[in-house]
Amino acid sequence: MADLPRPSTWRERLGRYGRALRDILYGMTTYEMVRDLRKDRARLEHLFVLITMGDLLGIPILPPYYALRLLPYVVPCIEGWRCCLLRERDLTDLTDFET
Amino acid sequence: MNAITVLIISLIGIGVGYFLYAKTIDRSIIRPDGSKITPAKMFMDGVDFTPANRNVLFGYQFKSVAALGPIVGPIVAVRWGWLPALLWVILGTMFIGWVQDYGSIMVGVREEGQTFGALSFRLISRRARTILLIFIYAYLLLLMAAFGKIVGFDLMTNPAVPLGVLLVMALGMAAGHMTYKLKMDILVTTGIVVVFSFVGIWLGTLGPIKSLIVTINGGANSPVVFGSVTWAQFLWSLVVLVLCYLGATLPIWRWAQPINYVAFWIVFLGIVGGTVGLVLWHPSIPADFPALSSFDGKLGDLMALGPLWPLLFVTIACGAVSGWHSLVSSSGTSRQLELETDALYVGGGSMFLEMFLAVLSLLCATVGVGYDKYVALVGKGANAGVFANGLATFLNQIGVPVSFGLPYGAVFLTLMALTIMYLCVRFMRVASAEFLGDAIPVIRNTAVGTIVALVLSALLIWTGFWSYVWILFGGSNQLMASLALLIISLWLKAKGKNYLWVFLPFFFMFITSIAALLTTAYQVIAANLKGGLAIDKVVGNWIAGGLAIFLSLAALVLAWDAIRALARPAEAPKTAQA
Repeated sequence: MADLPRPSTWRERLGRYGRALRDILYGMTTYEMVRDLRKDRARLEHLFVLITMGDLLGIPILPPYYALRLLPYVVPCIEGWRCCLLRERDLTDLTDFET
Repeated sequence: MNAITVLIISLIGIGVGYFLYAKTIDRSIIRPDGSKITPAKMFMDGVDFTPANRNVLFGYQFKSVAALGPIVGPIVAVRWGWLPALLWVILGTMFIGWVQDYGSIMVGVREEGQTFGALSFRLISRRARTILLIFIYAYLLLLMAAFGKIVGFDLMTNPAVPLGVLLVMALGMAAGHMTYKLKMDILVTTGIVVVFSFVGIWLGTLGPIKSLIVTINGGANSPVVFGSVTWAQFLWSLVVLVLCYLGATLPIWRWAQPINYVAFWIVFLGIVGGTVGLVLWHPSIPADFPALSSFDGKLGDLMALGPLWPLLFVTIACGAVSGWHSLVSSSGTSRQLELETDALYVGGGSMFLEMFLAVLSLLCATVGVGYDKYVALVGKGANAGVFANGLATFLNQIGVPVSFGLPYGAVFLTLMALTIMYLCVRFMRVASAEFLGDAIPVIRNTAVGTIVALVLSALLIWTGFWSYVWILFGGSNQLMASLALLIISLWLKAKGKNYLWVFLPFFFMFITSIAALLTTAYQVIAANLKGGLAIDKVVGNWIAGGLAIFLSLAALVLAWDAIRALARPAEAPKTAQA
């Protein structure tokens, strides 16, 4: 018979609320900076993949000789890369930009 | 009525609105599924689509939507009496505000992160997207005018304020350098810059500094430069525009982002300190501050604002319902939502928290300042000064001297305004490049595009009446909210779900916004035709009247497209595969 979940003590509940408050404060402060840095890194990575493997999107780019060596590293992010590059963009996307 | 009673009523409103009404809608109609993959997890491109923890997203959503709107709106709206303002803040949020924010997130999540531009194109009509962009541009322009006037004409002309603002900005840049270039620990950086920011605000209150600023302002009674604009107002609004130029053109990490980071701490500590002071003091709303003044908003010697309906409902925008939230929710939050079940907590929860901020602002005006001082300040055009004075009174209850609290409140508001103004100018620059870039290629240049946006903003800042600009700003904002609610209604209808809980708010907001715009157009044009106004007011009134009529016409075109969209049959249900 499976063990029933132990009811949380007031300490555990307090700890949960404390972590929630910390996360909320993080969301109000540093999260945007981290997100912007991640976006910048992702854009650079996407640009690199575009200039080395742009033929995957039908862009007439001759793959460089080291493309096969890079392929194992690129394959996990190909879907995200395609989605980002081919997604239709709108002026309203700017509202997500550094509020 | 005691201020604590008002806070308790607000908390009851939050409780009933969130735990009863919102959760019922969430459970019975939308039915979010925690096991369904959201766009954030589905795409995970590392740029726009990245999942985030619900509490982190709550903080992000709240910070993105809360600006000067929930603070200034209630301060203006108490001219109709504090009771209608309070009722609109609470009931508007309970029945409309959270609906828009939460609905925008859910539509974005269920439609693979599509923006409202794309959705308006698909669900309403081709030109609905163009109309949405027109509303957005008008909203940004009017926001620049409204906030620019508040900061340049009201806050920065106070001799105790400019040095504090400029020092905080310099410290913000230093924080950026310390974080990104020197790779210092963020907590150490925060501690250093926040402490020095307080020192900087205090330095601005010193006698010699204030005397210097008064001299720069051209004396205690600053001379008039043109129309009714004084040298001090002209100079500081120019400074604000220059700061906006830097914020819109410099790299994000160098200027806007670190200054926004430091500004957040100034604002956060002010709100926390003010709330603690208010609770400890727990004053009653003065008996001479009317619960209901008059239907036309005439309070004491202040000029009548106009009819309570429709103007109250656009005067308080962000504290009750705001179209800007729908854009942030659909373009930002919906692409970071980890689970569908987080949407109500993030979207609805942050809207209810913003409602609480609006109630605090209302209490600043009523109990913090009192009737006589309120009338005196607003009569001088110091609407934002009302909040600064009220906050200073609350902070005084926890030992902060008023001589520091007052400029602190003014710096608080200035930073909040500038935070959103940088983004607006960036947006306007990109929008003008998109619309006019083919016909006028030079507008694609970053500097040229930014200057064009600032010149248009300056035209509205230096002309016209602030109260009319604020109402137009609220009107364009609420038109965007109506459009968002319409999109959500059509989406629900297309899915065969009950949409009345969204459609009725849409109908109310749509009619109210158009009525407010047309009322304002009538008021400004009538004032011009009556004569006797300074040239800057005349020019500003014509611009305001023209904008109001233009937006109303765009809204009527949208109404026609909406009727046709509503008449379309719902999507045929997908047949099960054999």
